Amino acid sequence: MLKSSKTLLAGVFLTTGLLMCVTGGRASAAVDGEQVYQFYCAQCHGAGGKGDGPNVTPSMPVTPRNFTKQEDMNKLSDLDIQNVIMEGGPALSKSPMMPPWSQTLSKDEVAAMVAHLRKLCDCKGKQ
Amino acid sequence: MNFTKSMQPRLTLPLGVVCLSLLALPGQAQAAGEQVFNDKKCTECHYTKGPSKENTIAEKLAQKGPELWYAGDKFQAPWLAKWLSDPKPIRPLKMNSLTEKNAGDHPKLSEAEAKEVSEFLMGLKSGQVKAGVITPSSSVKGKQVFAKKMPCSACHPFPDSDGKVTGGLTAPTFVGAKERLNPDWILAYMTNPKLFKPVKSMPVFTGILKDKEMEDVSSYIANFQ
Repeated sequence: MLKSSKTLLAGVFLTTGLLMCVTGGRASAAVDGEQVYQFYCAQCHGAGGKGDGPNVTPSMPVTPRNFTKQEDMNKLSDLDIQNVIMEGGPALSKSPMMPPWSQTLSKDEVAAMVAHLRKLCDCKGKQ
Repeated sequence: MNFTKSMQPRLTLPLGVVCLSLLALPGQAQAAGEQVFNDKKCTECHYTKGPSKENTIAEKLAQKGPELWYAGDKFQAPWLAKWLSDPKPIRPLKMNSLTEKNAGDHPKLSEAEAKEVSEFLMGLKSGQVKAGVITPSSSVKGKQVFAKKMPCSACHPFPDSDGKVTGGLTAPTFVGAKERLNPDWILAYMTNPKLFKPVKSMPVFTGILKDKEMEDVSSYIANFQ
C-alpha cells in the first residue's frame, strides 16, 4: 500500500516536471490566439488577415502578408512563421516593416498566434 | 552689518513668510488642478496614481484614456496647458479601435482650468526618467533606425521632409512631438516600456536595439515639428 502511494506520488511529480518543461517552466493559462492576433497583428495584417490593416496607407512601402492566401502560406512551415514573428521580416529575407516581437510576446502567445494563422489560411503549411 | 536682537524678528519674519509663500504656491496650484481634474470627472477615463494597471490585453482594451501617473515625465508643460484648453486628436483612430476615427471630442477646459490641471499633471512623475540625456536632433543615424531598422513609421504618423503627414494610423502622431513630448521620456519609454505600459501593441525594442540606437531614435522623434 505504502509502495503504491510512493509510486503514485513519484508519477505526479514526474508528470508535473514534464509539463513544466513543455511550458517553459511556468504554468500557462490558455492563450487566445485570435485575441493576440487582433491586438498586435491586425493593425497591419487586417482583422481578417488579408493584409489590409489600417496602417496600410499609401506610404507603406510593402504589402503585409495576406494570411488567407493558402498557396503562399503553404510554402511556410510553422517554424518559419514563428521565426518571422520573433525576429521580424528579415528572418525570411522580407521587409523590416515587419518588426521583431521576441521581446514582446511569450512563446505561448507565438504558438497560439501560429495556430490562429493556420486557421486563417485553412492550411497546415510546409511539413 | 550687525543686527541687534530687537531688529532680528522684524527682518526675519517677513523674509520667512515670503519664503513659505513661494514654497506653498506650486503645491497650491497642483491641489487646485487636482480639484478641477476631479470635478470635471477626468477620472472616469484617466488615472493619476501608478503603477500602470493594464497587465493583460483584455485590461488594455478596456482602457478608456491614457494613464497619466507619469504625465510630468512625458509631456511639456506649455503644450499640455494649451492642449487641455484646445484639444486636438493625437491618435488618428479612436483608442483601442482599428476602424473608428478619433472623433476629436475630448472635453475642453477653460484656459484658467487648463493651466491649473497642467500644473497638477506636470507634478506627476515616475522618478524613473533621467533628465538631460536626449537633445532633439535630425540625425541621420536616428532617421535610419526610425525609418529603416525598426520602422516606427509603419504605425506612427509623422511629418516627412516636406512637412506632409505620412506613416501609419494606429499609434500616436509624432507631428508636433518637439513641443509635446519630453525627449528624455521618449528614451525612458524605449528602454523600459513595461514600466509605463506593461501591455501595448508596439513591440518592445529593449535587447534588440543598442543603447546608442535608442538614444539616436529618441533624439530623432523629439525633433519632429
